Amino acid sequence: MADKKKIILDVDPGHDDAVAILLAAKNEKLDLKGITVVAGNQTLEKTLQNTLNVCSFAGLNDIPIFAGMAKPLVREQVIADDIHGDSGLDGPQFPKSTLKEEDKHAVDFIIEECLAAEDGITLIPTGPLTNIAMALIREPKIKENIDEIVLMGGSYTLGNTTPAAEFNIYVDGEAAKVVFESGLDITMVGLDLTHQAKAYPEIVERIAEIDNDVSNLVVELLKFFGYTYNRVFDFDAPPLHDVCAVAGVIDKDVFTSRKMRVDIETDSELNYGRTVCDFYGVVDKEANAEVALDLNKELFWDLLIEALKKY
Amino acid sequence: MRREKIILDVDPGHDDAIAILLAARADNLDLRGITVVAGNQILEKTLNNTLNIVNYADLKVPVYKGMAKPLVRKQVTAGHIHGESGLDGPDFPSLTLEAEKKHAVDFIIDEALKAEEGITLVPVGPLTNIAAAILLKPEIKDKINRIVMMGGAYGLGNRTPAAEFNIYADAEAADIIFKSGIDITMVGLDLTFQAQAYPEIIDRISKIGNKVTDLVVELLEFFGSTYQDFYGLKAGPLHDVCAVAKLIDDDVFTTRKMHVDIETDSSLTYGRTVCDYYDVTGKKKNAEVALDLNKEKFWDLLCDILGHYN
Repeated sequence: MADKKKIILDVDPGHDDAVAILLAAKNEKLDLKGITVVAGNQTLEKTLQNTLNVCSFAGLNDIPIFAGMAKPLVREQVIADDIHGDSGLDGPQFPKSTLKEEDKHAVDFIIEECLAAEDGITLIPTGPLTNIAMALIREPKIKENIDEIVLMGGSYTLGNTTPAAEFNIYVDGEAAKVVFESGLDITMVGLDLTHQAKAYPEIVERIAEIDNDVSNLVVELLKFFGYTYNRVFDFDAPPLHDVCAVAGVIDKDVFTSRKMRVDIETDSELNYGRTVCDFYGVVDKEANAEVALDLNKELFWDLLIEALKKY
Repeated sequence: MRREKIILDVDPGHDDAIAILLAARADNLDLRGITVVAGNQILEKTLNNTLNIVNYADLKVPVYKGMAKPLVRKQVTAGHIHGESGLDGPDFPSLTLEAEKKHAVDFIIDEALKAEEGITLVPVGPLTNIAAAILLKPEIKDKINRIVMMGGAYGLGNRTPAAEFNIYADAEAADIIFKSGIDITMVGLDLTFQAQAYPEIIDRISKIGNKVTDLVVELLEFFGSTYQDFYGLKAGPLHDVCAVAKLIDDDVFTTRKMHVDIETDSSLTYGRTVCDYYDVTGKKKNAEVALDLNKEKFWDLLCDILGHYN
């Protein structure tokens, strides 16, 4: 296809991140220029290893992987080992990875790739926004070439890590503030949307029926992820948060959205990391984000399953 | 039938007006008095509106004037929703009824202290009166069986993206209530937005065809139009009525017990009811938060009781 969309995927695997990588790498509409890794669900060392493991296992040998920021801009680091386990990707056993990360820092890669992308580039951060914020702070000129940022994070209703905040924003509220106040086109794929993407047994069954190495890996990932989501949140199935952001870039019809003002709370301990979303348009501030509302479930799962069949 | 002793604390407000009409005619409630607080409009107006409703429906219930201003923050009102008078729409006959001489806060304290089997407070406006009563006389906490209040949201706010109006109007007061240790039921927007008075509901109320239902229809028509203009909602939600309905029939909505904190430190999220829905903080649960409305039961109950005014 002539006009593939250039993207950089910024991840912190993480079970849903892993599946997001697998989707992004095998969709013909996307040109995945590189995967940048950030600390988030686990420490950077672990999220990097998980990224290498997933790409190596899936035979994604040509996508460069870059290690990024190891700590949030300002806050003390928090991780999500309650959800993703000690490794950050508990469940499957991976063979020894044949891949290695590039020597370049993820933030440098983002800056260089954006500056070079005269026909535009899309950033898809599915972890804390530390790498993206750092790149914007270091080289504001990259804004000229960034078409949009489609990020997984936030919530206009309930949070998950705290009652107020979703994990990715909670981990680095200051970075999120930089991104939301950047003036860039932002699509916020929050929990309100991603909780509609729960992988129920019939979905897992469909994935299992593909029966290749990669789909079998996904089934294993979902099994562990489902177990922790049930234990911590009493969910009947695990939501594939990060996959929604990638799917939304592939096909705009995957979810509906509404443009609204989103402010990031960084002043309050109780509400730190909340994405304060002006759903009803009651504040007199300029709308700065498309916020995801309703998932087209059929389209979403079809996209994922089609991509997994290509392995 | 054992009737539950209640004090209804209001700031009318269209939905407050209907809440009064419901509370005054429910067989299982013993409405001891109506206390009025500033909220949807300034106190002078919310008091006047309360007296108008009580007078119009010929209710034999004492009305008490309460706090004119929030405990700490600057006053805000909701004229954009309830109009200049706080109860725009209907024209009321000229008023002869007056409020009692006693201050609402003193009435709450006195009534609670003398209630041998305890009393239930039903605040459906900002929590200033209730908080002031608890501050002045902490002993009343032992006499308050429960507080069933309209306010807050675990989803979206309405006054700000983060906060519902009643809590936003006096978050310091709300903080006192939620930290009081009293049994609290929080009837927030998540629940009350399920109680939208769609045209078929208004039509049903209209068909009851008494003096009071005629008034309710006028109130709902005005209320519906401002909700349409301001929030893009197709019908006005009867927030305050939901709290009273819960007392009449416990099955009218489901609840989940959780920890609720009130944000008072941040200007961006001031007045947010931070609800630990997923129980991730490990803090002690202090409120039953309303979840799902049984709509059929709710509207049946309201129409049935409004029919008592025939």
